[in-house]
Amino acid sequence: MSTTVHASTESRSLATSTAFRTFATVFAIATPVIYVICDMQNWPLFTYHPGTNRIDLGWSAAVRDQGPAMYWYGWTATTLIGAAVLGLLATLLPERVVRRIPLSLTWIMPIVALPILIYSLKFFWRW
Amino acid sequence: MGLIPDFILDYISVTTFWTILFTFHALLAVALLGALTHQAMSVLAPVRQGAGTGGFVTRFRSVQGAGYATAVCVLWIVTFVFGAWIYTKYRMYVRIPIEQQGFWKTQGVFELKEHYATIGMGLLPIYWFFWKNARDPQYDSARKWLTVVLAAMCWFIFLVGHLVNNTRGFGS
Repeated sequence: MSTTVHASTESRSLATSTAFRTFATVFAIATPVIYVICDMQNWPLFTYHPGTNRIDLGWSAAVRDQGPAMYWYGWTATTLIGAAVLGLLATLLPERVVRRIPLSLTWIMPIVALPILIYSLKFFWRW
Repeated sequence: MGLIPDFILDYISVTTFWTILFTFHALLAVALLGALTHQAMSVLAPVRQGAGTGGFVTRFRSVQGAGYATAVCVLWIVTFVFGAWIYTKYRMYVRIPIEQQGFWKTQGVFELKEHYATIGMGLLPIYWFFWKNARDPQYDSARKWLTVVLAAMCWFIFLVGHLVNNTRGFGS
C-alpha cells in the first residue's frame, strides 16, 4: 500500500516537474538528430560480433570467418547517452530560455529524419 | 545461435526458446499497436461530449488517452528489448539468407524499422509527460501530433516485422 502511494506520488511529481519537462523535450529533439549523425558517420559506442559474442569499444570491422559485425546496438547507446547528457545540460538553462524551445520539434524531428535515413540506406534500394 | 543464457537450454531447445521469445515480442507489439492506435484516433477525431454511445468507430475513438500513456511506454521498452535480443539471432540466421536471395528492399525497410524503434525510445519521456498533463492546453497540439507520429512509427515497425517474418520467419 505505502509502496503504491510512494510510486504514485513520484509519478505525479515527475509529471509536474519543470526540470523533467526540459529534459524530456531536449531528449526527444536530440535523439533523431544524434541517431542520424551516428548512422551517417558510423559512430557506434561499441560493436557487437554475434558470431563470437565479442564486444569491441567503438567501431570495428567484421572479422574474417567470424560472422558479421553489428553496429545498431552501439548507435542506440551513443544516441540515448548523448541525448540524456544534452537533456541534463538543458535543465541547467534558465526557464526563459527553455520556454523558447518549440515543443513541436519533438514530433517534427522524427519526420525530418525520415528522408535522410532513407537516403542513408540507398545501398538497399536496388530495382 | 544468438544470445541465450545456458541454463535455459537445460529445459527447452534452442528453437523453442526463440519461438517463445519471438511470440512474446509479437504479442507485445500487437498490444502496443492497439493502445497507440486507440490513442491516436482519440486525438485525431475526439468524440464530443454528449455524442451518445455511437457505433464501433465512435467507441474506438472515445477512449481516455491519458490512461494508456504509461502502458505504451512500458510496452515500447519491453518490445524494444525483446526485439533487440531477437536481433542477435536475426543478424546471423535471417539477414544473411535474405541477402543471399537478393531481397535487398526487404532488408532495407528492416534497417529503417530498427532506426525508428530507437528514435521512438527517445520520444517516450516527453510523450509520457504530455499525457500526464493532458488537461494543460499548452501541450494539446504537441501531444496530438507526437501521438500520431508515434502511432505511425509503430504501424510501420509492426508491418515491416510482419513482412520480414513472411520472407524468412517461422519454418524457413
